[in-house]
Amino acid sequence: MNDRAAANPQHLLAPEVLASLSNLELVARAAVNGLLHGLHRSPLFGFSLEFAEYRAYSEGDDPRFIDWNVYARTERTYIKRYLGETNTHLVILLDASASMGFSSGKVSKLQYAKYLAATLAYLAARQHDAVGLIIFDEEVREHRRPSSRIGRLHSILHAIDRAEAGTGTNLSVPFERFRQYQSGRGLVAVISDFYCEPEAMINGVQPLAYQGQDVILFQVLDPQELEPELKESALLEDMETGESMEVSPIFMRSRYRERIAEHIESLRKAAARAGADHELVSTRDPLDAALRNYLTFRQRRG
Amino acid sequence: MTLLAPLFLLGVLAVGLPMWLHRLSSENPNKQKFSSVMFLEPGEPRRVLAKRLQYLLLLAFRIGVLVLLAFAFARPALLGAPEAIVEDSARLNLIIMDTSASMRHGQRWPRARDIAEGIIDDVPSGDLMQLLAVGRTARVLVDPTLEASGLRQSLNALNPDYSHLDYGELMNAVDLTARGVELPVVVHLVTDLQQSSMPTRFAELAAQVPLELNIYDAARPGESNWGVQSVSWTPATQQIAVSVRGYGTPPAEKDLVLELNGERVAQQPLSITADGTVTAEFGGLDLGEGANRVRMYLDPGDALAVDDQRFVVVKRPEPRTVLLLTQDPTGRDALFLTAAMETMTAQATTVERSTPAASSDLDLRAYAFIAVADAGILSDADAERLREYVAAGGGLLMALGQRSAGSSAVPVTGHAFLGTAQLGATGGAFTTVGTMDSSHPALAGIDELRAAKFYRYTEIQPVPADQVLVQLERGQPLLIDHRLEQGRVILFTSSLDRQWNDLPVLPVFVPLVSGLASHLAGELSVQTEARLGATLSPRAVGLASGQIFDPQGNAALGIAAAGLGDEVLLESIGFYEILGSGRTELVAVNMDPIESDLRLIEPNALERWRNLNVPLAEVAAAENVTVEGAEPTPLWPWVLGLLIAVVFVESWIGNWHLRVRRGIAA
Repeated sequence: MNDRAAANPQHLLAPEVLASLSNLELVARAAVNGLLHGLHRSPLFGFSLEFAEYRAYSEGDDPRFIDWNVYARTERTYIKRYLGETNTHLVILLDASASMGFSSGKVSKLQYAKYLAATLAYLAARQHDAVGLIIFDEEVREHRRPSSRIGRLHSILHAIDRAEAGTGTNLSVPFERFRQYQSGRGLVAVISDFYCEPEAMINGVQPLAYQGQDVILFQVLDPQELEPELKESALLEDMETGESMEVSPIFMRSRYRERIAEHIESLRKAAARAGADHELVSTRDPLDAALRNYLTFRQRRG
Repeated sequence: MTLLAPLFLLGVLAVGLPMWLHRLSSENPNKQKFSSVMFLEPGEPRRVLAKRLQYLLLLAFRIGVLVLLAFAFARPALLGAPEAIVEDSARLNLIIMDTSASMRHGQRWPRARDIAEGIIDDVPSGDLMQLLAVGRTARVLVDPTLEASGLRQSLNALNPDYSHLDYGELMNAVDLTARGVELPVVVHLVTDLQQSSMPTRFAELAAQVPLELNIYDAARPGESNWGVQSVSWTPATQQIAVSVRGYGTPPAEKDLVLELNGERVAQQPLSITADGTVTAEFGGLDLGEGANRVRMYLDPGDALAVDDQRFVVVKRPEPRTVLLLTQDPTGRDALFLTAAMETMTAQATTVERSTPAASSDLDLRAYAFIAVADAGILSDADAERLREYVAAGGGLLMALGQRSAGSSAVPVTGHAFLGTAQLGATGGAFTTVGTMDSSHPALAGIDELRAAKFYRYTEIQPVPADQVLVQLERGQPLLIDHRLEQGRVILFTSSLDRQWNDLPVLPVFVPLVSGLASHLAGELSVQTEARLGATLSPRAVGLASGQIFDPQGNAALGIAAAGLGDEVLLESIGFYEILGSGRTELVAVNMDPIESDLRLIEPNALERWRNLNVPLAEVAAAENVTVEGAEPTPLWPWVLGLLIAVVFVESWIGNWHLRVRRGIAA
């Protein structure tokens, strides 16, 4: 299977395929390869230290980027441009609460979130960005401060791999921890199902935005959470609180969908007000959409 | 323990309902994990019939509620400890005491009590005994028991009353008592064997169930008695006639004393022959207004004092004046009415004739009642005056004759005129009386009314408050009793002048007018005498409500019960006093004079009675017959208390289950 997957890198972005890979680093690499394979056919430049182009120096350009070798040979000043040339840091906040353990198919929300986190980390490391990680539920369970040292990626991937669904969710805890240890500007990717009030999310994100951080929220939801299909009444038990409630198929087909859509829309608006990007991700979808959005986000903020 | 209403136990079948309900289950027995319930809301669970019962604890309590409810309705009771188990050879000894008035004679009652004591002593141990008192009714004084002490206690407290005993009714009561008894019954009747107590038909003395009848005579040969048999009062002559009779008595000289309102006012010596009857008359009494108490008694009395006296209520006759309104005071209608009313012998009546115009200055309240010869002669002002008079309690007799024809409504009452029926001239076509309410006091004893011929009459429409006393053959009302507030109006829908009918010239006209006059004057509704054992209510003396006091002055009917339709049973002799509406009325209650006759049953008749009863047949030996010693102690209050407790627990458990099913953290 691995041979076939490797032969078609784009195929590697499917969650089911990634789930078959035993090593998270392999998952991240396969996903990134699949992503970059697709990018060659896309209008995007991509992000790396590879040379992109020369252009004539114009007033206002940073003289540090003048290619002095060219100037020596031609006595003309050219600016040498690289893809992904700006170094920054990326901190991934991964929600490992109990609700993230929900799954209606082969891949749970937490698994999908781990793939996404690992891929983001791998992608950032490939661009020589410093990568940090906070895994949380009601408390911060893992914390890796951003670093671009060799071996840090493995440490982060290992931490992500160990993450298990825990208890409840408290968004204020990881954001508070992040503010305590992070001073410079950078990127913050929050991966969660965001079963919280939009105001609670704003309270955590807004201080980061004021701090100069660029925040992207990946809301990971299962298809059964977005468009549940019940054939008969069911007694649903909250995975975090243990509360049970008997619901009818009619309600889940109509009113529930309206409510979850309203919630997502509220989160999106709240994120926009806080200066953050909001990306809804379904565990049924391949990773590339999320990664493309991240790259767009990275390019825009870089 | 027993159940007083065991049929209610069928209610236990209702436990099927909770059992069925507890097999109902929601369709989602298995829980499913879900990320968050923050966007969910509980839906109505769809129910299916589960194979197994669920929520067994709750079910148990619900079944308990229903069972206890049915049990409480079945009225469980604890029986008192059985006094004893009756032996196989036991019999029921029914001791019956004659408590009629004649048992008050001399030493009859002490003798009867001694006889009863002897019977109790002679009853074999192991036999049951029951004590009954018979007079006007039969009363069970002591239920079947083995204990003689209770019987003796009741016997000592028993005394004869004023009633009359009929042996036929006595044997009927014995039948009813002995019918449900599984033991052989031996009847011990202690009586004075009065001939007058024998029933009309000798066969009534036969018991319908096998029993042994022992009759004990409490009388002694040669006992004599005088008694006041009757007292009658004639208002017209103001005379009181008294009849005194002796039974088995020698010639005697006695005084007959008249006591008026508690004072001895007159006395007459009587020479009574052996077994003879003598009458006496008293007149010239100085009677007070309203009802007077008159007591007649013999002096000296005899061994049976209770019949040596008799009570009567006497009212002073007040001459009454009747106003007759007529257009022609010398006309035929006035003549017929005046003649009829002045012929009445019961009460002196003066008829004052007047035209409506001439009567405008008269005080109508001074008249016993008012008669109008023809309603058509009344003006509106006259009608209004008469209406006020009637509304205040007056009586009005009004004929609807020739002059009424053409009016739209009857004056005073406002009845709608439907027209005048013309059947033919005198001697031609006519109609007669169809139906008559003979129960009405004004029409009592009048039965020749159907002889009258009616050629014309006025048709009016009765109102619901009317009482139609007489109807013609075609159903049209002829005589209507119409209530108008406190008073009443009698409407006669034909004429009184012989033009429309021949009633005024028939003999029945006088008693009819007399009855109507007494009814309108309010004299018929007053009862002054009642028999012992009857009931009395304030309505019997013309009062809507009131208090009744017995001859001893005790309140027999209090204010609280007044007007509620309650009646008083007359069990004492003397004067019952009824107070109400500012009036005091009296009702005299006397002993049945037949009890004065102390003659004994002929010996051969007594022997036939003894032999008449079915011999005591072989009655199945009593097996395990228990005698209940005491009234059952009701247990339902305790069951009800337990039921309330179970309901509380059931509610709590039910609520707990509901919380679980609704997803509320328990």
